[in-house]
Amino acid sequence: MLRFLGTRLARALLTLVLVVTFAFVVLRLSGDPALLIMSADAPPEAIAAFRRAWGLDDPLWVQYLRYFGAILHGDLGQSMRDGRGAIELVAERVPATLALTLPALLIKIGLGIPAGVYAALHRNSWIDRGVMFLAVAGFTVPSFVLGLLLVLLFAVQLGWLPSGGQESWRHAVLPVITLGMGGAAVLARFTRSAMLEVLGQPYMRTALAKGVPWHVAVRRHALPNAAIPTVTIVGFMVGSLLAGAVVVESVFSWPGVGRLLVVAVSNRDLAVVQCILLLVAATMVTANLVVDLLYGVLDPRLRISAGRT
Amino acid sequence: MIDISRRALLGAGASALVLPRFALAQADNRPTISIAVQKISNSNTLEVLREQSNVGERIFFSSLWEGLIGRAWLDELKTVPLLATEWKRLSDSAIELKLRPGVKFHNGDEMTAEDIAFSFGSSRMFGDTPATAQGRTIPVRGDGIPTRAGRELPPEIPAVARRSWPALERVEVVDKYTVRFHNASPDVTLEGRLARYGSEIISRRAFAEAGTWFDWARKPVTTGPYKVVEFRPDQLLVLEAHDEYWGGRPPLKRIRFIEVPEVPARINMLRSGEVQFACDIPPDQIGAIEGDTKYEVQGGTILNHRISVFNQSHAVLKDPRVRRAMTHALDRQAIVDSLWAGRTVVPKGLQWDYYGDMMVPDWAAPKYDPKEAQNLLKAAGYKGDPIPYRLLNNYYTNQTPTAQVLVEMWKAVGLNVQIEMKENWTQILDRNGERGVYDWSASAPFNDPVSCIVNQFGPNGQAQQVGMWSNEESNRMAVVLETSTDHAERKKAFRRMLEICEREDPVYQVLHQNATFTAKRRDIKWKAAPAFAMEFRANNWGG
Repeated sequence: MLRFLGTRLARALLTLVLVVTFAFVVLRLSGDPALLIMSADAPPEAIAAFRRAWGLDDPLWVQYLRYFGAILHGDLGQSMRDGRGAIELVAERVPATLALTLPALLIKIGLGIPAGVYAALHRNSWIDRGVMFLAVAGFTVPSFVLGLLLVLLFAVQLGWLPSGGQESWRHAVLPVITLGMGGAAVLARFTRSAMLEVLGQPYMRTALAKGVPWHVAVRRHALPNAAIPTVTIVGFMVGSLLAGAVVVESVFSWPGVGRLLVVAVSNRDLAVVQCILLLVAATMVTANLVVDLLYGVLDPRLRISAGRT
Repeated sequence: MIDISRRALLGAGASALVLPRFALAQADNRPTISIAVQKISNSNTLEVLREQSNVGERIFFSSLWEGLIGRAWLDELKTVPLLATEWKRLSDSAIELKLRPGVKFHNGDEMTAEDIAFSFGSSRMFGDTPATAQGRTIPVRGDGIPTRAGRELPPEIPAVARRSWPALERVEVVDKYTVRFHNASPDVTLEGRLARYGSEIISRRAFAEAGTWFDWARKPVTTGPYKVVEFRPDQLLVLEAHDEYWGGRPPLKRIRFIEVPEVPARINMLRSGEVQFACDIPPDQIGAIEGDTKYEVQGGTILNHRISVFNQSHAVLKDPRVRRAMTHALDRQAIVDSLWAGRTVVPKGLQWDYYGDMMVPDWAAPKYDPKEAQNLLKAAGYKGDPIPYRLLNNYYTNQTPTAQVLVEMWKAVGLNVQIEMKENWTQILDRNGERGVYDWSASAPFNDPVSCIVNQFGPNGQAQQVGMWSNEESNRMAVVLETSTDHAERKKAFRRMLEICEREDPVYQVLHQNATFTAKRRDIKWKAAPAFAMEFRANNWGG
């Protein structure tokens, strides 16, 4: 088990290093930070002096090592537009984003998994077809379209809910539903497929042939086995808690990490973009690590095989 | 979100006019309004010397910043006394102003001559730049550039300040309520410069007490009718009534500017009642909004022309004939008719009617003449080499569709212009990479050509500061415009600058006059100014 955990941790760290490197290189190639920190009105002498002062004249690899060393010391740099620490700026926005993505995750899980299971257990019934129709619709309609439709209905026509901003819990309702419905649709489809596959397995037939009641066979054998692919999708959703609402935050003018990312990218606010990418990668990597560990819990065969290698 | 009824609106407007000062401490029934805007501030600051933009004008005037001389936003933008009550010329290069007594800053301090001198001093505006700027581009020291956490002026501030005040030598404090502005050279436009965007007054004490320059620029302490209570960059700006305002109690309790980048979202917020105003409405949406009789769209042409700027040193564009061909290839009226539904006009070059006697009435934008454009290209030996065209995605209303139309019109005469979408102004002006043409707009902050053609394309104009263009004769004419007191000579110099900058050695071409449209609830008694500025003082609310 320790080796299993160690391997996964090493992979996670390697992924983070690659993300940091990728972010550094791509952002440096996409524009000169000196021109972004200084105004367009700044004269060339000032820009040259700035490059010297901040070591931007150094070779890229020297800058990279300095940047990497700073990260190891917890220094993620300063925002070029705000003059404040990038981590401070991003941390300010994280609660707003989580205020959308956590309830949305609950909707995804609470709606998507039961719907998928129910549809699979009633395969080819009108309920199955109805659930899958909604799932396909939810899966294929882009979030900005769904968001605007919800705004037109609930904000403009009915006047029940606000259409944008972040003043109260009511402002979060429409973006949470927009985020939640799409994810629930994805989960419903995956859960249904996983359940159908499991329900057709020989061990299910054996269990039923041995006289195990249908609901017991489903609970004891089908659900745990179908959980593995579902957990993978849920893990991915958990991993995108921080950056999974970019479009929805823009549509609803919600000041979260997603909007900060859009603004930071358009202004080449390198430190902020790098900080967000690092946090998103860390969340994703952690979620994947947890999922890997859950695999071992859900399926002992994986745990044993990992222990043997 | 506070919902305001029609009765509350009318009542608040009336009470603002009649309530005596002793009533201020009583229950505050004034409404709070919310305004959805595309952008609050490009620079994430609220400092007039840093945020010199159309969107900045909207949040600054007349709510936050005030100068010694101001503008009547609802009366043809006439210059009017603001923080100064009267002024007189002492000479061609000096002017004396009497300050309005009893003006209080947002921090409660009374405005005195010391604040005026400080506002126009080296610590706040000019750094160590000299007051002899005419005719040459200001050099700005490049060493010792501070971090954004420091108190030092960002290096662009003196450059911007000298663009507005190239030869201001000093401000003399005569007494508590009297100041004299001394210019290093004669200047008939001193009054205009005092009225322009960037010449506003700050509290000396508040500036000194701010921890960093950025702290100051996020919450400037001024004399305006509203003060900053909350500024969340890229999200929200909340202004609150400054009840000690010299012009009387402001009619609104609070003004909230909410940044909503998407047009449909802004319109939806208006229709759902979350905001009372939605700005930056494209002309093609006006009919749909006004289809509901509860709403109306106000606005129209403003003192700003959409232009495109040429890079004189580009391999293809260094031949002025190619630039001239580009100017003749455009059917500007077709753009106005199709993309603006005729709600704006093709102007007579880079000038406005309010220049008055300085206007060159027989001037016009280059004639739409594809044949002439083709002849010029042939004479220049143009072989179809690509010309990069940098622009932002709809920073200006209709910017992207206009650019697409321009490219097709240029293509029709044989020009190979390639759009390069950029994400911010720094990328537009970036000296690295191939610079050909870029989108821009030019304003006239006061009623003299110096405010625009000299300000933008003179020796200290941005085009020259970023190394796009230079013309020795035009620069000489700019100096004449700035320093001569001979009206006829100045007028001649202006015409010559137009000839050079728009025809002979084009640095820009005018596309159309800019226009801005604001959607609002019809029952709110408020009028849009012919400007980006939004007037929210008692004279424009509820009456």
